[in-house]
Amino acid sequence: MVSTNRDRLVAMSLMGQVISPSYPAIPAIPHQIDHEGKPRLLPSLGGIVYNVKIGDPVFGWAGDNIEPGVAIKAPDAAANQALNLFACVGNEAVVMTGGAKGARGVVTGKSGRFAEHVIIHFAPDVLEQMVFGDKIVVRACGVGMTIDEFPGIRLKSLAPVLFARLRVEENDGRLTVPVSAVVPPELMGAGAGLTSDGGAICIQSMDRAALRKHGLDQLRLGDIVAIADYDSAFLHGYRKGGISLGVVSSTDSIKAGYGPGVTLLMSAPRGELDPMPVEQINLTGLLELTGADRLARTAEEGSL
Amino acid sequence: MVRTNRDQLVEMAVGGEVWPPTLRGPYRANTQGEAFNLMGMAGVVLNARVGDLAYGWAADHLEPAVSIRNRDDGAEHALHYLACIGNRAVVTSGEAKGARGVVTGEHAHILVDFEPDVLEQICIGDQILIHAIGMGLEMLDYRDISVRKMSPELFAALRIEELGDGRIRVPVAAEIPGYLMGSGAELGADYVDQDMTTNDRETLASLGLNQLRIGDILAVRDHDHTMNRGYREGAITIGLINHGDSVMTGHGPGVMDLLSCATSKIEYYIDKRANLAAYLGIGNKHLT
Repeated sequence: MVSTNRDRLVAMSLMGQVISPSYPAIPAIPHQIDHEGKPRLLPSLGGIVYNVKIGDPVFGWAGDNIEPGVAIKAPDAAANQALNLFACVGNEAVVMTGGAKGARGVVTGKSGRFAEHVIIHFAPDVLEQMVFGDKIVVRACGVGMTIDEFPGIRLKSLAPVLFARLRVEENDGRLTVPVSAVVPPELMGAGAGLTSDGGAICIQSMDRAALRKHGLDQLRLGDIVAIADYDSAFLHGYRKGGISLGVVSSTDSIKAGYGPGVTLLMSAPRGELDPMPVEQINLTGLLELTGADRLARTAEEGSL
Repeated sequence: MVRTNRDQLVEMAVGGEVWPPTLRGPYRANTQGEAFNLMGMAGVVLNARVGDLAYGWAADHLEPAVSIRNRDDGAEHALHYLACIGNRAVVTSGEAKGARGVVTGEHAHILVDFEPDVLEQICIGDQILIHAIGMGLEMLDYRDISVRKMSPELFAALRIEELGDGRIRVPVAAEIPGYLMGSGAELGADYVDQDMTTNDRETLASLGLNQLRIGDILAVRDHDHTMNRGYREGAITIGLINHGDSVMTGHGPGVMDLLSCATSKIEYYIDKRANLAAYLGIGNKHLT
């Protein structure tokens, strides 16, 4: 059991609005070019997604980087940056306006450059009552959290409640954490060189044989994964021996360099993190998301 | 002689103005988490040109010589997509009016090399016109190898050999393993570059990649950039270093795409002279 500064973290409300999907205007060429060079028209980022949920497979959908549940964005660019940086996976979200007013959900991930959305899980009946523009407050708490015993491990986009449930263990000065899979550095794509405090980095999926070789072809939305030989302390990039940890937050993509998005949760550039592959470790189990519209928390975990 | 559609290419003017350096914020974080302020991008760089080392400058993303862009968004993108490496540039306003230069890279700005006496005369805001030719260039007998951002002069200078079995061979200054490719995977291969990741200095040195020069022609292993930029085992991309190193994680010298094949139809061998400065007789010619 490691100790953190969680009782000194600030909880602050952030606001985003349910955002519509968006396509380019005239001359009306809405296609994405897939990795074979073929133009494809598919549902993509944004919107209220009714049938792709946390826990579902990331591969096989006729979609491009689908954000499960609801994607929100603040109308003002600077406010949206704050929303994207400070919202943490596991934070509670509350619908403040519209037909679903009062409903509660849970932040499950983020999207990066070109979208800058925060992704929120709600129960199916809540999704049915939502429209674009509905205001959603995220009760942000987690940024600034540190582990007393591991000052070299940086935590980001990680709510205290999720950290407490990740089942991390200290072993001989190293932190062991169960993961669904370990991704090799050569498969990390779009997002490299960009911030790891917000947004997401893609697991490249053009080379299907490489995905199978590393046991990544069965990934699910919400899976906890490690990235080998990677430094995500500030921006994302290769570093031999470094280990990053994240959660799979959007579905596969048809574009070269892209693939399932991973929202970063931890980075140990000097390698103090030991990922321990298990059958599956997923937000659905960790945060009790299936069918529930509210995360049940123990007294020790508090209200955030 | 590699057969191309050279005779079908259209030559068209695109233009921009010499663009001033700008600051996005007072400080950014380097790999160690230290705040830094460094110059490097935009403006007129008087003492760094293509052919110089990409490393060792007290700079971030150093753009050699002159950086230009266009104030109009549409014209700016025309400049980005149509300008090719090796295209002729002409100064059309200011003290250096009439001076000739050569396009050496496409990054946040289009990078143009001029001789030192011309660089001294150029002012921010001076207009520069580029005779863009190269967009649409194809190798007629190698349709599955993509060709990008190359003037016919650069294509001819690359020393491409035909091996007679459907493959070609190109000399390169160095080869980069796919796992060292960083920022830029989110952009299409027809737009700017993808940075090498250079924050792991030990790995860089162990691979002999710490002496690269701006203008070096490189091979990127296991990267397919025929459409966008991504990992594919066995694929090869031939690129060009367009700007200097960076202190930020996931960044480093930029690699612009010249040739790419999803399968292994591009062979290469190491020849340190494979550099734009030597090929086009521009910049600082350390290697000739």
